[in-house]
Amino acid sequence: MSAVFKFENWRGAEPEPPSAEKVHKALIQLERIVKTYDAGDNEVQALRGVDLRIDRGEFAAIIGPSGSGKSTLMHILGCLDSPTEGRYWLDGEDVAALSGGALARIRNQKLGFVFQTFNLLPRATNLKNVELPLLYAGIDSDERRARALEALDRVGLKERAKHRPNQLSGGQRQRVAIARALVNKPSLILADEPTGNLDQKTGNDIIRLFEEVAEGGQTIVIVTHDPAIAARTQRRIKIVDGLVVSGEMED
Amino acid sequence: MLILEAIIDGIRDIKDHLGRTLLQLFGIILGAGSIVATFSLSVAGKEASMKFYRVSGGIERIWIGNKETGKITLDAKALASKGLTYADAVALRAEGKEIDLVSPVSQDQMTIRYGAKEKARDVMGVTPAYSPISFFHVQRGRFITDLDLQSTARVVVLGTTRAEEFFGSDDPVGKTISINGAGYLVVGVMEEKYFSFDQKRNALRWMNRNMYIPLTTMMTRKGEPLEQGRISFMHARMKDVKRHKEAVQEIERVLFRQHGTKDYQVFSRVANLQRNESEGKMYDVTFMICGIISLLVGGIVIMNIQLASFNERVREIGTRKAVGATPAQIFFQMLTESVLVSIFGGILGIFAGKFFTQGISMLTENPAIITPGVIMNALIFAAGTGLVFGMYPAIRASRLNPIEALRTE
Repeated sequence: MSAVFKFENWRGAEPEPPSAEKVHKALIQLERIVKTYDAGDNEVQALRGVDLRIDRGEFAAIIGPSGSGKSTLMHILGCLDSPTEGRYWLDGEDVAALSGGALARIRNQKLGFVFQTFNLLPRATNLKNVELPLLYAGIDSDERRARALEALDRVGLKERAKHRPNQLSGGQRQRVAIARALVNKPSLILADEPTGNLDQKTGNDIIRLFEEVAEGGQTIVIVTHDPAIAARTQRRIKIVDGLVVSGEMED
Repeated sequence: MLILEAIIDGIRDIKDHLGRTLLQLFGIILGAGSIVATFSLSVAGKEASMKFYRVSGGIERIWIGNKETGKITLDAKALASKGLTYADAVALRAEGKEIDLVSPVSQDQMTIRYGAKEKARDVMGVTPAYSPISFFHVQRGRFITDLDLQSTARVVVLGTTRAEEFFGSDDPVGKTISINGAGYLVVGVMEEKYFSFDQKRNALRWMNRNMYIPLTTMMTRKGEPLEQGRISFMHARMKDVKRHKEAVQEIERVLFRQHGTKDYQVFSRVANLQRNESEGKMYDVTFMICGIISLLVGGIVIMNIQLASFNERVREIGTRKAVGATPAQIFFQMLTESVLVSIFGGILGIFAGKFFTQGISMLTENPAIITPGVIMNALIFAAGTGLVFGMYPAIRASRLNPIEALRTE
């Protein structure tokens, strides 16, 4: 890593890396994140230099109109994509330059995802769905099962472990997905419009579940365009035109 | 651990889409089936011909027969040659270093009469060597002896079919039978020979139809002087199967010196066997190529269906990647599935092969044996097909971008 810093210093224009103390407190530290998509002749800048810090235990929302770059930001936060430029420290680890298998390992160990469309495997039981991250972590089947049951218990669906997702209501499916996000004890849970496919009441229940989980000290970031949901979080990070316009943390 | 999960997933996949899977596996089933059929027929064929040789004189037997040269010659010796003679047999026995037995045979159709029954039947004039060289022995009485030859005795030994034909259930030994008008004493009856390739027809039934008199007696009756007496064919026995080429060369050398022209032919059973084997190999290769082509087609079908189901499963793969499956893990999982599906096809193929084999075996009356080795071969080929053709879909799945995969509807 030091070799990289020397190179950056020689260029002279890049910021100093964050201090050890700052990194420790911060779970996420983004610096000058730029993401450019190559769309034929013209390049599209989805993110135009995002600086963002999210500390451990925060329950935050990323809001913004569609096309603002919030999905792109979520993909980068979720290590599903790499930034074109900039630095990203997640849990003290520099992940901006990682790719492929290494990013998969980070997702597996530090992240939990909750999607708008749940993305459960239809042919697997709920238990197997929740076990999935542990399977790829190489954890043996007894422990996988125990931890998956524990996670299902936390979302109140232990009795439905042997059912398949299509035997559940939408809200229950999202609970299974949350159990799957919790099972590997991630540093960060990222939820992308988690109530987008649910009616208002069910959506409320899901947000309540997130609140409970957040109270347990879990860091959660919800990406949403719904101001009512954003209002329930502790902090709202607003993105417009590929830049964070409000909700930045003051140092 | 992951492999176990992948196998469980694969089995569930086969179960959930049984119809599609069977369709997908048609090529593999046919391919594995023809491999099973090829191997089992060829293994059984080889074993059967070895057994046949073992009961009828062994692979050390050499056959020497007459042959028309078709050539016009001015060589005096060649012009004088009347084909194989008793003198040739004597010369071979005297000079042959590679052979230890020579059995000249003169064959002719004669009129046989006993009581009211009269039939035209083949009679063989033989020497005592005939019995050991053919692994064919008397069951009752005795065979032709040297003394019979020296005394040109009018004695006859019957095969079981002839004994039954003329004597029914009576014991022929000690009775006198008329051959071309002269009385012959029946001194023995041969054992009954039986060998079947198909458990139905006796491939050695012609041996039971023979009847034997001393070679000298036959020549005398035909009015030919013994030394120039013409013979129909000879058997010789080589001392060492490994030196079968030398034995044949030696016989040909002696005969050419005797005849001055190549009006004879010499075949060793060892050479026959080798020729059969190489011919068999050709059939094997042909069948194998058919099997491999079926497997290739089957593999392409597997690849196609894997790619089609891949589109169906893009979201699933995306989800797996989002929760942290590495490209290598996805690749491994997809490949395991293809291999598993084709092993399943291989197993069905073995049953198909058993069915083919029985069919071919019944139609062509060839024996067939399915050995564990044959089954292993079929399974290995099937699994290999899955491995090769599962590679491309697995690579595609492993390279899938999770963001795009999750975005697909």
